Amino acid sequence: MEHEKINECVIMKDLYYSVEDNTWIRVNEDGSVTVGMTDIAQNLAGPILHAKAKSAGTDRKKGKPIATVESGKWVGPVKSPISGVITEVNEKLVGDAQLINRSPYRDGWVVKMKPESLEAELKELVTGDNAVAAYKTKIEHDNIKACTHIEGSDTYE
Amino acid sequence: MGLNKMALDLSTNKYADVSYEEKERLFAEVKADARWNHVMYGCYECGICVAACPSARFYDFSPRVIAQAAAREDVDLVYTLMNDSVWDCSQCFSCDRCPRQNSPGQIITIMREVAVKNGLKTAKQALEGYGRIIYKIMSTGTQVSPDMLQPNAFPDWGGHVKEISDNLEVWRKALPPETLHTTETGWQITDKTIVELYLIWHMTGVMKLIEGVDEGLFMILVDVMEERLADAGYDDVSFD
Repeated sequence: MEHEKINECVIMKDLYYSVEDNTWIRVNEDGSVTVGMTDIAQNLAGPILHAKAKSAGTDRKKGKPIATVESGKWVGPVKSPISGVITEVNEKLVGDAQLINRSPYRDGWVVKMKPESLEAELKELVTGDNAVAAYKTKIEHDNIKACTHIEGSDTYE
Repeated sequence: MGLNKMALDLSTNKYADVSYEEKERLFAEVKADARWNHVMYGCYECGICVAACPSARFYDFSPRVIAQAAAREDVDLVYTLMNDSVWDCSQCFSCDRCPRQNSPGQIITIMREVAVKNGLKTAKQALEGYGRIIYKIMSTGTQVSPDMLQPNAFPDWGGHVKEISDNLEVWRKALPPETLHTTETGWQITDKTIVELYLIWHMTGVMKLIEGVDEGLFMILVDVMEERLADAGYDDVSFD
């Protein structure tokens, strides 16, 4: 899949991003969306110890937490990039939260959701080259250190 | 060079962009605190507090400067100290040996509270690193959890931290009291304790303080607390 690296941080071009909250969504064929944390988010958090998602059936407005992520010294919410109902939680994260560190865009997804008003909310997210440009600005502005990847991480050539 | 970076800049031009009225308002809030008249009597700069202060040995920090600025009612300097100095105090209260009965440590306690209540940027920065600890103590009632022992979080503990963290569950099960067979919390906490704790946070307005300092932390705490309180029959408790 097409991607770009900025300061060793991977940005996938086919995903939609909420740059401020460091989250992404993938629009699936059945109309559902998959939500996850970005490579930059996993890098800022450091090796993750717990990722606790809200249970399936939870109705969330955009910007509200869909999961809580804890690393050694940090804790924070994964804020939902869209409004909708959580339909599935990534059970693999229960015993292996570092899957988010190793594979933020593939196996380490956080929840799947049934979107409430996807068409309108997609317009507020960025994708493709716009996403790459937005992250370039953010990484420079926030002085974000180069992304590091723990052993066993997905590789992007 | 490294030391220069740590030096405290007491020139008032650093916060020249903040209006005198705003600085005065914050100082008035400090002085209005009920404890103020019991901790600030006036300072003749003897320096006994500095001699006893552990933070003064390691940082460019002085409890005497705090007490002096407060006693002289130097509004500009108090503002600078409220931003750049009060977080260097370890709140050990060794300075409570003042011949005039001042308590620089308690003056600092009040200044910190005002800084937090007013959401000063420097207060947010100073408290940023404590997010997970605050989350732990407020959501579980135990402050330090065994799983905080991670090589990347405590490199100063030495190489054996990795061995401990890799086998944490086994180590904890080796402890005789069953209530300590936990890794996410310091010990097992009963539902009754948790519910009472959440109600205390709710009634005392602590959550409002958190909201002003760290919105993300506030958000996840509310999420955890409202759900647990609703399960216990307190459906009407809301932190909004």
